[in-house]
Amino acid sequence: MDFFANFMAGFQVALQPVNLTFCFLGVFIGTLIGVLPGIGPVGTMAILLPVTYGIQPTTAIIMLAGIYYGAQYGGSTTSILVNIPGEAASVVTTLDGYQMALKGRAGPALGIAAFASFIAGGFGVIGLQLLAPPLVSVALRFGPPEYFSLMILGFVILTYLAQKSMGKALMMAGVGVLLGTFGLDTMTGMPRFTFGIPELLDGIGLAPLAMGLFGISEILLNVEKKIKQELVTTKVKGLFPNLEDWRLSLGAILRGTGLGFFLGILPGGGAVLGSFVSYAVEKRFSKHPEEFGKGAIQGVAAPEAANNSAAQGAFIPLLTLGIPANVVMAILLGALMIHNITPGPMLVKEHPQLFWGVISSMYMGNIMLLVLNLPLIGLWVQLLRVPYAILFPLILFICVIGAYVINNSTVDVYIMLLFGVVGYLMRKLEYEPAPLVLAYVLTPLLENALRQSLILSGGSFGIFMVRPISAACLLIAAGLLLSSLLPMIRQKREKIVAEAEEDE
Amino acid sequence: MQAQRLGFLFWLAVGLITIYGSTRLGLGAMREPGSGFLPCIAGCFIGLMALGFFIISFLRRRETQKKLSWDDVHWHRPLIISLLTLGFVLILERLGFILASLFLLFTLFKWVEKFSWKKAIFIPALTLSLTYLLFNVFLKASLPKGIFGF
Repeated sequence: MDFFANFMAGFQVALQPVNLTFCFLGVFIGTLIGVLPGIGPVGTMAILLPVTYGIQPTTAIIMLAGIYYGAQYGGSTTSILVNIPGEAASVVTTLDGYQMALKGRAGPALGIAAFASFIAGGFGVIGLQLLAPPLVSVALRFGPPEYFSLMILGFVILTYLAQKSMGKALMMAGVGVLLGTFGLDTMTGMPRFTFGIPELLDGIGLAPLAMGLFGISEILLNVEKKIKQELVTTKVKGLFPNLEDWRLSLGAILRGTGLGFFLGILPGGGAVLGSFVSYAVEKRFSKHPEEFGKGAIQGVAAPEAANNSAAQGAFIPLLTLGIPANVVMAILLGALMIHNITPGPMLVKEHPQLFWGVISSMYMGNIMLLVLNLPLIGLWVQLLRVPYAILFPLILFICVIGAYVINNSTVDVYIMLLFGVVGYLMRKLEYEPAPLVLAYVLTPLLENALRQSLILSGGSFGIFMVRPISAACLLIAAGLLLSSLLPMIRQKREKIVAEAEEDE
Repeated sequence: MQAQRLGFLFWLAVGLITIYGSTRLGLGAMREPGSGFLPCIAGCFIGLMALGFFIISFLRRRETQKKLSWDDVHWHRPLIISLLTLGFVLILERLGFILASLFLLFTLFKWVEKFSWKKAIFIPALTLSLTYLLFNVFLKASLPKGIFGF
């Protein structure tokens, strides 16, 4: 009964005109940046973070969430029509989507991508709604040691699933922890690593850090080469897949939805992993695997379903445990904290309108996205003609002004620029920025949990091993670390990464 | 020197400096960790990982190493754009939002991207107007006015 009451209350929040407007704005921007190459949801959300300071937290999160799942829809358009994924989670869609477009079937490819996204998005929200409340009751039993161990497990899983070197990803997580300690120590009031700069007393801001590492560094990488966008077609016809297309795709959509949703919950999983795994599963279990890569519609339906349901699944650890599963969720966590809201099990009790409002808004967002991506596909196709030479100065300019207006200080802009250059070099040397940002966001929680645990135990690290949930988390983390050192598993992991890179 | 090794040395230095900085902050006791406790752990971790990678880079067979050198860094355009942005930040509060933004956008469109005069004036002017509307009017953020008062 409570569930339906909350469900209805959530809809009341989501249907408020202001929330509907920002939901539309979010999914619209999400589709836009999904379509446009050179900027992803992380960079966009970081850029728009300062914009959310002046609006209600529920409205802000509704908009930011809309950008994330909206980008999953938009990313498929460029994958299919230009063979350039607008977004990392749409890389796999290029394999069969572009082949379909070359064969004159761009319409059904775009259509099935939109329908698969819609179906998966809908199921994803239902899953989120059903799974979140029971998880909240489990999370309420967590104390500081459990939280600390869970965060350590999260770091390890995130780095285990890193696309490049796991060791480097772990090192970046360490750097993130270090950066997260900058500013006043909340327990002792002592300034740490402020270098005499008063603006650093509050620590390094999430927005300039993320804008630098994801927005500016992306621009610096992209300006090195000329991004050529050759459209297969500018007139898209026959968007509605025929019965045969549906027969072939329906199973793939459902499997992709399930896989994507559960992989989305895993730390480090998210939409990218979901799309890759669902494609691999479809290919392996298909009666005609040889058709994959040559325009098989299942090769579009499965990853598109997976990346959308994963986007919804990723909200579960954030909303129930207060632990972000990926870097996008880390930005959302940061946005909540800016509004003095601590995500976690108490969120449902203390801010039910936010919890249920955001979830309910996703239903509305998915409907809006279907409308945006089917009847309005022509608009996005025209946008694909905008050259990157026009886009990047605008993105750069908005980043700079966005960073400045956070505190009306140039220090934030310098920080953003510094991390932009650092991020550029990091990507060149194959260091992933995602573990860094995730660790940076989690550090205040991690440090509090560590200190409280040690105070509770009188200084004994044994507290992490005597409590069952905590011990289980640490043992799994240790198991993963050890397994990555075993030559056989390491080679297998490197092979999977190499295959994924070849596919890209 | 190989770019990767230089990277490892950089992170090793970061780790060592962090350890030094955190000991000055005070590590505290195990039953009551001080402000430098977690940074010290982070510094040790970064330093040890970097040292490990640095040593391994000499032990690994040459053919198994992925080639990464400064040749892969085509830094000419990224450097120009970084310097232009830095220049923009330096003059932003002195010249004000409008003039500094015009400088950045016009330089990027005309000088870096070689657009026609028409486009190099029209796009920045439009962008500037929309940004001003968004930040100054809609979001009520105060943008710097500079010595000319606009």
